[in-house]
Amino acid sequence: MNPRPRGTTVTSAFARLLETLRPDLVRFAFWLARDRAVAEDVVQETLIRAWKSRDELKDAAAARPWLLTIVRREHARLYERKRLPTVDVEQVEALGDPALASDGDAGLEDLRRAIMQLPDEYREPLVLQVLGGLSTAEIATELKLTQPAVLTRLFRARNRLRTIYGLEPAEDAE
Amino acid sequence: MSNEFTCRHARVEIGGDPHVQSPELGAHLAACAACTRFRTETLALDARLRAAFELSLTEFRKPERRAPPARRFALAASVVLATIIGASFWLLKPQPALAGDVLEHVKDETGSWDAHELLTPSQLADVLRQAGVQFDSSMPVLYAMACPFRGRRVPHLVVQTAEGPLTVMLLAHEKVAARLEFTEGAYRGILLPVGEGSVAVLARNGGVPDAVAAKVVSGVRW
Repeated sequence: MNPRPRGTTVTSAFARLLETLRPDLVRFAFWLARDRAVAEDVVQETLIRAWKSRDELKDAAAARPWLLTIVRREHARLYERKRLPTVDVEQVEALGDPALASDGDAGLEDLRRAIMQLPDEYREPLVLQVLGGLSTAEIATELKLTQPAVLTRLFRARNRLRTIYGLEPAEDAE
Repeated sequence: MSNEFTCRHARVEIGGDPHVQSPELGAHLAACAACTRFRTETLALDARLRAAFELSLTEFRKPERRAPPARRFALAASVVLATIIGASFWLLKPQPALAGDVLEHVKDETGSWDAHELLTPSQLADVLRQAGVQFDSSMPVLYAMACPFRGRRVPHLVVQTAEGPLTVMLLAHEKVAARLEFTEGAYRGILLPVGEGSVAVLARNGGVPDAVAAKVVSGVRW
């Protein structure tokens, strides 16, 4: 009988965890990058980095925020390393990316396009909060901003989206 | 400088995170109908935002490389043939879109079937809370995730039964008219109506016992 090598159970459990969370990571990367090829690359790099650093993750329940943080940093690193051009919003729209489509819900599709058109400084904290589930304090730490600055950016992001949703925008914060 | 908490302060705080409420905002809302309405609107907007962010991953499949012309012809012929065969099957046995989406989702999370350790009640409660669903069942739960599904978070559970593990998806926003059975490969599943929603119960390499399905349905509260 061949004894199972030590650590095999742990690593296969970790592999299953990565497999389970991968769809969330791809969505998260897509909203940051606004480009599916870049998003796939970012997630690939993230999974490699996570695998190498798997001993750092002590609690499986913390895996999602841990991985999302790696995605965000890999996304930033990719732009620094490869000096990728920033995505032209008009070009993203022209691509008519099918990922933005929504069966029979035109309002949702409009909202997705409006999120795409938000400047990075507003879209990124919104993605971290709504999709990533981070608190404003955690976003502030992650983006190296003060908490009031994060609140203001989030307020402005939602304020721009209110009109798409058919609501009156609020008076801007100064 | 005044320390008064104004409507402008309230709007920034609500717009920053409508789900969190400081004592100052709470006091302001108690006296300001306009800001209360603003918060209600923002919470509704956030529910839509959440749905907007949950893109369908079926649209994320990488496009195939373009084949050379001769192969393209062969491909086109095979696509036509596959379409005819597929359409015949479709007409003979229509597979509802919801069942197809459930299967697609479950196949995307094949690792869920391999879970062996029981979840604690608090771990399960956390997932149910994220999805806004109640599930009161004595069945042991081995896996629970609040998964994005059709623009919402839904509990995706794997429960242990005498017949082996079964996947349960609690679909609070997917109404079905009647019980519906579906199969694909090794998967057998049923969709059951529960009030304004439904539950999907799936088995892999086996069937879903009616008694277990009934037990699942009786434990669901929307």
